[in-house]
Amino acid sequence: MVVVLFTITAISALLVALVNDVTKDAIAEAEQKNKDLAKLEVLPSFDGQAEMNDTSYQIGDFTVNVTEVKVDGKILGYAVEAPSLTANGYADKIYLMVGFVEDEAGRAKIHGVKVLSQKETPGLGANMIKPGNKLESSILGKYADDLVFKVKKDDASGSFDALTGSTISSRAYANAVETAYAGYLMKKGLLLNKGNVAVEKSAEDDMDVKDYEHVTDDPNAEELNAEEDVNTSDEGVESVESVEAIEAEGADATDEVSVDEASVNEQLDESETQKGEVNNE
Amino acid sequence: MSKLQLITKGIIKENPTFVLILGMCPTIGVTSSAINGMGMGVATMAVLIMSNMVISMIKNLVPDKVRIPAFIVVIASFVTIIEMLMKAYVPALYASLGVFIPLIVVNCIILGRAEAFASKNGVGASALDGIGIGLGFTLSLTVIGAVRELLGSGAIFGMPMVEGDGIMPLIFILAPGGFIVLGYLMVLFNKIAKR
Amino acid sequence: MELMTLLVGANISESVRGAFETGSVSVQAITLVAIVIGAIFVNNVVLSQFLGICPFLGVSSKVETSLGMGMAVTFVMALSTVVTWALQTFVLAPFGIEYMQTIVFILVIAALVQMVEIVLKKVSPALYQALGIFLPLITTNCAVLGVAIIAVQKDFDLLTGVVYSTATALGFALALVLFAGIRERLDMEDVPSALRGVPIALITAGLLAMAFMGFANVVPLP
Repeated sequence: MVVVLFTITAISALLVALVNDVTKDAIAEAEQKNKDLAKLEVLPSFDGQAEMNDTSYQIGDFTVNVTEVKVDGKILGYAVEAPSLTANGYADKIYLMVGFVEDEAGRAKIHGVKVLSQKETPGLGANMIKPGNKLESSILGKYADDLVFKVKKDDASGSFDALTGSTISSRAYANAVETAYAGYLMKKGLLLNKGNVAVEKSAEDDMDVKDYEHVTDDPNAEELNAEEDVNTSDEGVESVESVEAIEAEGADATDEVSVDEASVNEQLDESETQKGEVNNE
Repeated sequence: MSKLQLITKGIIKENPTFVLILGMCPTIGVTSSAINGMGMGVATMAVLIMSNMVISMIKNLVPDKVRIPAFIVVIASFVTIIEMLMKAYVPALYASLGVFIPLIVVNCIILGRAEAFASKNGVGASALDGIGIGLGFTLSLTVIGAVRELLGSGAIFGMPMVEGDGIMPLIFILAPGGFIVLGYLMVLFNKIAKR
Repeated sequence: MELMTLLVGANISESVRGAFETGSVSVQAITLVAIVIGAIFVNNVVLSQFLGICPFLGVSSKVETSLGMGMAVTFVMALSTVVTWALQTFVLAPFGIEYMQTIVFILVIAALVQMVEIVLKKVSPALYQALGIFLPLITTNCAVLGVAIIAVQKDFDLLTGVVYSTATALGFALALVLFAGIRERLDMEDVPSALRGVPIALITAGLLAMAFMGFANVVPLP
């Protein structure tokens, strides 16, 4: 009796371990692809080749990653991946990708927001993933330094319209946008920085970030650490593997960007440009 | 029982939600909108069909005393495997159904059917039973979701049904509304089904 | 321009700024009292988290039996949290096999229930008599697994985890007993035939859940 139960458990565990082993890389790849797409989605559409330069900040178990996106040597904007650092949603932390685009005077505007992961209640807090939801539309196109990172329901001066019936989720969302903005300011050297050291990638040093960042127990943090790094320099020949290049074709110069499909090529020779499709809806 | 009967009985005669009263937790938990109800239903159906088949295959190997723990382990591994496979190979589908998958482990429908049907019947019949019960569950959840969405946010499947920016009784998409809508729909179902 | 540089970032709160400066998130400690009140009233496991509804509907026709069920669940929940916490901390996490969590936890609960049944039978036949029939039902009570997973997810230490799970179970017992009290009264009323049984129970549960919504925002949630 016990033997049978033990056998069944052993076989089940073995199967699960096997599938985990097989799918581990594919899952990481799918998540990475999702993040890469999100970076493009929160920034304006562009023609030409994009270069991405990542800077990440380790805060406890969490990572805030700032990607500077350059097109033809000009900075297009910053895509910041950030957790709701000091607030929890109803179920867990919320992870966002927030796009900041600077105007001529150097003031940053929120260009786009994409929810990377959330475990909020379906139909309530989970509505934050719907395009054009109240949270998103209450801050899109606004100057980040004008925002008050509070929910209007809690504080009349707050910039965020809460999702119906989901104040806790909305607070976490506002907190994640705040964290993203703080990350952007860190990158620009505009936020006081006493102790935390930014991890910046250079061309000579093209290992994975996780090779030298201290690895944490938190699976979420690990997943964030797995972020592959990219260089900005022109010595790309030496670090071919870390260059992500995207060529957009037929993208209109509209303000709204919506990338349906884009191939992000990790291995790319400088001379040979690969084409990705960027469709505007 | 004919093959067709095996499938159709889950929709009315043995409807898991309204007649068998199984799987109440996800029923109330996720039906805040029609599309969520449907998603949960489909995800459950997929797991149910396969777990029914596996249970019916191993039913003769498992001694009676350790039946429940053995079934639970099989179902839990199954759900974990499906979650991993979806995450890896169909991330788009996972993005829409993923939140429901872990909830299925604690859905008593799966264990209930394993106990009541799959452990006594053949593989083919168990698969059909899974389809039938799964369909019934999906239909019930979609209906509950649609009613709650309509009452609570004035829309069905995200399409607005109420003119203007009307204030809707939000309570219907919160916990209490779940209990109440399910209660009244059960009354309606009993009335119609008994006829 | 200088003025602007000074003003930039003025809207970042102290807590987020502090996190970036120190490189660590200072977690606002939530007192055990807040956890207890939160788990029993604000986030009641049945009425706002939708866990354990099946036994809630099944074993709530009499106050006496519902008390027994509540006690049995409290006992198993507290015990299973200790065991699952230990397994998570000393086995699953160090070996990096967190994906086995559901399987291991559910097996632990099933085994625990069986064990409690055997021990009770030998040590205290009276208590076994009182709880006996409820024990097998607990294996399929999704609240037990749900709470074990939440306690691990929220990174509780052992004490907080046990306090949390015990309070959650007490919340379950409270809802169950309250509900049974209402149902005992309902049995004496003339309920329309179509509503009798589960439908009226569900509607009553909805009203009870509405009453519990009054506790929202009483304490910060963990």
